[in-house]
Amino acid sequence: MDSINTLISSITVAKPWGLDIPNYFWFTGSSAAAFIISSFAHVFGWKKYKPIAGISLLMAFVLLVAAPLNLIDDLRQPGRIMNFFLYGWENFATSPMKWGVLLLLAYPILIFFEAQALYRPYFVQKVRNSAGLGKLFYGLMTFGRMDLGEKALQRDHKLGFILGAIGIPLALAVHGYTGYILGAVHANIMWHTPLMPLIFLASAMVSGTGLLLLLIPFFQRFLSERKKVDRKMVATLATLLSWFIVIDLVMRFLWLTFSLTFADGEKYSLYSYFSLHFQDILLVDYLLCLLVPLIIGFTRLKNTPAVVYLGALVTAVGVWIFRWNTVIGGQTIPRTTPGFLHYSPPLLGQDSVLSVLSNWGILVALICAVLLIFPWDEEMIDCYKGEAHAK
Amino acid sequence: MENDNPRRRFLKAGLASTSLALLAGTRANAMSLKNPGRDAGDARYIGRKDSHFVMILDLRKCIGCQACTSVCKVENNVPADQFRTFVTETEVGAYPDVRKAFLPQLCNHCEDPACVPVCPTGATFKREDGIVVVDNTVCWGCGYCISACPYDKRFFNKRTKTADKCNFCAQRVDQGLLPACVETCVGGARIFGDLNDRESDVYKILHNFPTTVLKKAQGTKPQVFYIGLDSKVVELFDTTIDLDDIVKKKQGIEREWMKIAEEVEHHG
Repeated sequence: MDSINTLISSITVAKPWGLDIPNYFWFTGSSAAAFIISSFAHVFGWKKYKPIAGISLLMAFVLLVAAPLNLIDDLRQPGRIMNFFLYGWENFATSPMKWGVLLLLAYPILIFFEAQALYRPYFVQKVRNSAGLGKLFYGLMTFGRMDLGEKALQRDHKLGFILGAIGIPLALAVHGYTGYILGAVHANIMWHTPLMPLIFLASAMVSGTGLLLLLIPFFQRFLSERKKVDRKMVATLATLLSWFIVIDLVMRFLWLTFSLTFADGEKYSLYSYFSLHFQDILLVDYLLCLLVPLIIGFTRLKNTPAVVYLGALVTAVGVWIFRWNTVIGGQTIPRTTPGFLHYSPPLLGQDSVLSVLSNWGILVALICAVLLIFPWDEEMIDCYKGEAHAK
Repeated sequence: MENDNPRRRFLKAGLASTSLALLAGTRANAMSLKNPGRDAGDARYIGRKDSHFVMILDLRKCIGCQACTSVCKVENNVPADQFRTFVTETEVGAYPDVRKAFLPQLCNHCEDPACVPVCPTGATFKREDGIVVVDNTVCWGCGYCISACPYDKRFFNKRTKTADKCNFCAQRVDQGLLPACVETCVGGARIFGDLNDRESDVYKILHNFPTTVLKKAQGTKPQVFYIGLDSKVVELFDTTIDLDDIVKKKQGIEREWMKIAEEVEHHG
């Protein structure tokens, strides 16, 4: 029918969500993944993940503290943030955004308490070895519990287990709800699938593991007293990453086969979108950013750290691109205007390239802050030594 | 032993006093299921209780003059380059078998709107007379409703920096007047009224003419009905190739998908 229609004039509509949103999704997703990996040791008791469980927990914390800033930046009226808490509670059941802000508040608090339980014995030692302001600060971080007896340590361990166990569904929810936000929009053919929360979780595990694979070796090599990378851990994480990529690919396969083939009339728009971006998506998103890291983790290449880091980098970037393709790409698909829309993020101002770069700057600053405050290094070294209170 | 720790006692006292202060600071009536305007029973938020307002667009009578488009901007003070209603103009066929087709579009004031339930601040809601409105003093500009609307009939107002849309000229309707676009329509293509009033034009037309709605499959039950809607014209909605569009050409690609930096520059 296209051939017999010619559009003479219409209004090109504007879409609400820009650069901040894919960035936000990437941050929360990576945070959830880091938390799950830390829970491998803290909740499931898998010993081989124990040395990196603490640092993963701290990374989950900083990612989640930095993430919501994207959302505030995205608001056109950020000064009215209190309105969210005051009004509109009748929409609680139907507005995933409403759930999200509560999750975003609860989750970092939980991680903080879990990290406190994990590092309390080290804070106690710090109190004993420091003076003045340092002593006062570390004293506060112990929450006044200075006991290092067997019973007290067991209590810390139990608290860590309980918080970790509550944290797992919370971590899944804090990222799963972002998939819900998009999946709930039935007006958007790309977003509207019940698989969206699962697709988001699967790709989140990929980006989070990729990020940890870059950060942890860096910390171990340059910031730890240990001064050397745990190559075995790098290989373990690389294989774990490959398994997460497998899950991610299965989710995306289910999603795309149904929505491109077995969907109703709107599938044509989606088909056009993927035809238009076929090469970019296939070559960059699937081959380079998913398949290459997948092969690295399942072959002997995983024993060469440099190759693993490269794979981790492309896969973390690849998930960011996937978030972009979903959030921005989904909005470019026409609903009442013929033809795809175009979006190019502004360089300055709200929701701009600069604001996303600033957010990354805040992430780096937060990483520095937690690395300074929390005795992650001592705990990690104790784990490698197999010390009793580090178990 | 533990209980005698002064630091512990200090923390306990601190926690208790902070939570007390927080509780005292939050008045019990400050939190709301809805929003302050609706809670106060403000007439503008309730509307005309016994009415159910709908609009009928008789496409046989639309001549694409855009009088509705212009008067809406004047009546509602809609910023430049933004529109609450507009008429899409198309050409169907090729010479010599060719005709013009027009499609006036506006908020459908759906019976089961997609935009309202997702609003996290309660700023947008449906009045009792069926008109979907936005309280731009409450909206925090997250854009969820704009994403949710299958008809693309919401936008961020450049001036108020909140979600904006057609409100059936509720300010006029509340005074017993017709929406501005209906009043000004030269061909009489726009018909507005109360469906609960059996004497109204909309009641009679809806019961005597075949009508249809846009994107029925979205399940939002639109309350803007069309007479003579051509499926070929509606298909334009899903057309993904870039068709000739003089507005796009005039504004240029960089004007698409409003950028806040630009908004700030022009209106900040």
